[in-house]
Amino acid sequence: MSDIPRLDEEALAELQDVMEDEFGVLIETYLADSRTRIVGLNEAFEAGDADRLRKAAHSLKGSCINIGVPRLGSLCFELETLGDIGQLEDAEPVLAAIAQEFQEVSRQLENFSQEK
Amino acid sequence: MSVSTRRSDDGHVLVIQVQGRFDFSTHQAFRDAYEHCDKPMKEYVVDLTHTTYLDSSALGMLLLLRDHAGGDVASVVIENCNADVRRILSISNFEQLFSIR
Amino acid sequence: MNLLIAEDSDGDRMILATLLRRLGHQVYEASDGLEAVAIFVKLEPDIVLMDALMPRMNGMEAARKIKALAGTHFVPVIFITALAGESEHAKFLEAGGDDFLLKPFSRVILEAKINAYSRMLALHRSVMQQRDQIRRQNEQMLSDQRMARRVFDNVAHNGCLDAPNIRYHASPLSIFNGDVLFAAARPGGGTLIFLGDFTGHGLPAAIGAMPIAEVFYGMAAKGFGVVDILTEINRKLCSILPVGMFCCGVLFEVDGKQAAIRVWNGGLPDGWLVRKSGECVAIPSRHLPLGVLSADRFNASVEPLNAEPGDYIVLMTDGFPESCDVRGECLGEDAVRRALTELGSQDHPFDALMARLQAFTGRPDPADDITLCCLEVVARGALADVAESAPESSLSGPGSWHCVYEIRDRALATFNPLPLLLHICTEVPGLRLKSGEVFTLLSELYNNALEHGVLELSSEWKKNAEGFSLYYQERARRLSDTKGHFIRFTLDHESRPGAGRLKIRCEDSGKGFEVSKGNANARTNASKAYSGRGMEILKRLAREFSVCGPGNCIEIVYDWERPAQGATSQ
Repeated sequence: MSDIPRLDEEALAELQDVMEDEFGVLIETYLADSRTRIVGLNEAFEAGDADRLRKAAHSLKGSCINIGVPRLGSLCFELETLGDIGQLEDAEPVLAAIAQEFQEVSRQLENFSQEK
Repeated sequence: MSVSTRRSDDGHVLVIQVQGRFDFSTHQAFRDAYEHCDKPMKEYVVDLTHTTYLDSSALGMLLLLRDHAGGDVASVVIENCNADVRRILSISNFEQLFSIR
Repeated sequence: MNLLIAEDSDGDRMILATLLRRLGHQVYEASDGLEAVAIFVKLEPDIVLMDALMPRMNGMEAARKIKALAGTHFVPVIFITALAGESEHAKFLEAGGDDFLLKPFSRVILEAKINAYSRMLALHRSVMQQRDQIRRQNEQMLSDQRMARRVFDNVAHNGCLDAPNIRYHASPLSIFNGDVLFAAARPGGGTLIFLGDFTGHGLPAAIGAMPIAEVFYGMAAKGFGVVDILTEINRKLCSILPVGMFCCGVLFEVDGKQAAIRVWNGGLPDGWLVRKSGECVAIPSRHLPLGVLSADRFNASVEPLNAEPGDYIVLMTDGFPESCDVRGECLGEDAVRRALTELGSQDHPFDALMARLQAFTGRPDPADDITLCCLEVVARGALADVAESAPESSLSGPGSWHCVYEIRDRALATFNPLPLLLHICTEVPGLRLKSGEVFTLLSELYNNALEHGVLELSSEWKKNAEGFSLYYQERARRLSDTKGHFIRFTLDHESRPGAGRLKIRCEDSGKGFEVSKGNANARTNASKAYSGRGMEILKRLAREFSVCGPGNCIEIVYDWERPAQGATSQ
C-alpha cells in the first residue's frame, strides 16, 4: 500500500492549470462530495447491500483518481471488488482504512490549495 | 479508362478508341481525347472494335469531332463496328459524313 | 458548440465542465439521467457526454431516450467511464452511444474527441443541407417542366391527331424524352404528319421542339409542300441547335385526293406501309437527321408511294424497337416487321403492335418513351371537312383588287406559288374562313396546269405501282427542262356587303388537249377531256367554270358569303 502515493502531484498540478482560480472551489467540491459518498458506503455495508456498495465504491474511486489521490482510489477499488464478489464480511477493515485515509487526504489537499 | 488514344507513326493521324458503352458518360473523356492535341491532325480515326453500344449522344459526339476536325473538309474515319453499331450508324446515314470501314 | 455533461460526481463534473469551457464551448450540466433528458429537450445541445452509472436514471437509459428524441438529427453521445471491460463497451454501443471517454480525463484525448465529433457534425449538417437543396431544386425542375409542357401544348396544339383515322401512343411527357408528334390537316384535304426524336433528354431536348411546332403548323396551314417544310425545319434546327444535337424525324403527307403518299425519313427506324393486301413495304431512313447538314447540302427529296383506302402507314421512334423485357433484351426491328406481316385481315396494326409490345415486356402499361403512330388511308370525303378555324381579323382588308402572277422557266421546277396565292386571297377577311376551299381551287388548277399542261403527264400511269413510280420519275425528269414554259394566274376580287366574288383564271404554256376539227365542238370536247382529271372538285366548289382557248386556260368564279351569326361555316 505504501508504494501508491497519497497525492498525485502531477495530476494536481495539471488540475490547477485547468481550473486556474477555481482550483480551490474544485477541492472543496470534491471533499464535500466524498464525505457524502463515504457515508453512503457505510450505509450500504450496514444494509448488507453488496451491489449498492460496489456501485458507490466504483464512483468514489473514479473521482479520487480524477482529483489525484490514488491511494484512496485504490482502497475504493478493493471495496468495489468485495462488493462485486459479495464478500461483505471482509469489508469492515477496508471501510475503516478509507475513513482514515480520507482524513489525511483532506488535510493535505486543503494545505495544497492554500499554498498555491 | 474507356477512351484511349494513340498516334500514327508519322504523328498525323489520331486514333481514338472507345471501350464498352459509347454514351453520355463518355462525353468528357471523348472530347479531351481530341481537344488536347498540340498540333492539328490530318485525319482522325475512331476505333470501335471494343464498343458494345452507341446511342444518340455518341452520334452527337462524332459530329462534334467532325466539326473540330474542319466540318465539311474533315477526314474522320469510323472503323471496326460490330453489327449493332453499324446498324445505328446506317439508320442515321452517317456514311454520308464519315468514312465507315 | 453546445455540450451537455451528465455526471453525478460533483468534482468530476466540475473538472470536465471547466475543461470544455476552456476549449470555448457552452456547457450545460446535469447530475443524473433524468435531468440530462430534461436539459436535452429544453436546450438541444450538439454533443452529450454521459456518465454510465448514475442514480435515478442511469446513463444507458438516458442515452437511449436522448437518441430517440434526436430522431434523424445526429447527436453524438460519448459515455464517460472508469476502466470498463469489453462487455461494458458493447453495452454502450447497444444503448446508442457513439464513443466513450475514460476517467481520469486526459485533456488531450478529450479535446481530440470533441474536435472529431464537431467536424463530423459539420459534415452531417452540410450533407443534410445539400440533400434538402437537391430536393428543392428537383421540385423546382419538375415544376418548370410542367410549365414548359403547358407552353408547348399551346404551341403544338394537337392538330388533327384526334382524327378518326389516326391512332397513336405518345407519352404526355414525351417531349422531355425528345419525342414529338404533330399532325395537320391540309387545306384542301389530306394529312401531314411529323414524328421527331430529338437527341438528349429533359429541357434541352424540348427546346428544339417548340420552334419546329410553329414552323410545321404554320406552313402546313398555308399550304406549303413537304419539301419546303422540311427545308425550313432543317434550316431552323441548324440555327438553334448546337453542333452535336439534332432531330431524327419522319415527315409524311397523305394527299387527300389521290391517296398518294410522300415520305421523308431521316434517322428514325423503318416506317411501314401496310397494304390492304397484306404486303408490307418498308420506309427506311435515307437521310441524315434534321439539323446536321447546312441548307446547301440538305436533301429534301421525298419518296412517293401509291396507297389505297384501307392501307396503313406505321411510324415509330426508336423507343419502340428498343423496349426491353425483364432480361434486358430488346424487342428489335425484326419483331416489328413480323408483327406487321403476320396481321390478320381484320387486325389494326396499332393494336397488333401494342399487344406485341405488352406481351414482350410483360408490362401492361407502355413505358414513357414509346411513340407510335398509325394512319389509315381513307377515301376522300370519308372524313368530315375540317372546320375552318382561322380567327377573324379586326382589319378590313382589300375589297376590290386584281392580281396577275406568272412563273416561268426554271421557277416552275423550284418554286411552289400556292402559299403565296392563298395568302393574297386570304387577305380578304371573308375568304379567310374559306381558305380550305380556296386552296383546293388554286391547287387543282395549278397541279393540272403543271402536270398535264406543261409536263404533259397522263394520270393514267398512276393506276398501278410500276406506273406510279414511272410517273414520278418522268415528272422529275421533265421538270428539269421547263425552259420556255409558264403558268399564269390572274385573280380578281370584288366585294359587296357581307359577301364577295373571286375570279381565278389559270393559263399554262402547254398545248391544251386535242382539239377536234370543228371549233364549235371544242368546248364540249374540252369539258369531256377534263372531266377525267378531277375537275369534279372545281365544278362542285365554283359557281361558274369555263375552259377557254385550246384547253390550256381555265377560269372559275367563286362566290362567298359571310355566314349568318351563330351558323357554322361549311
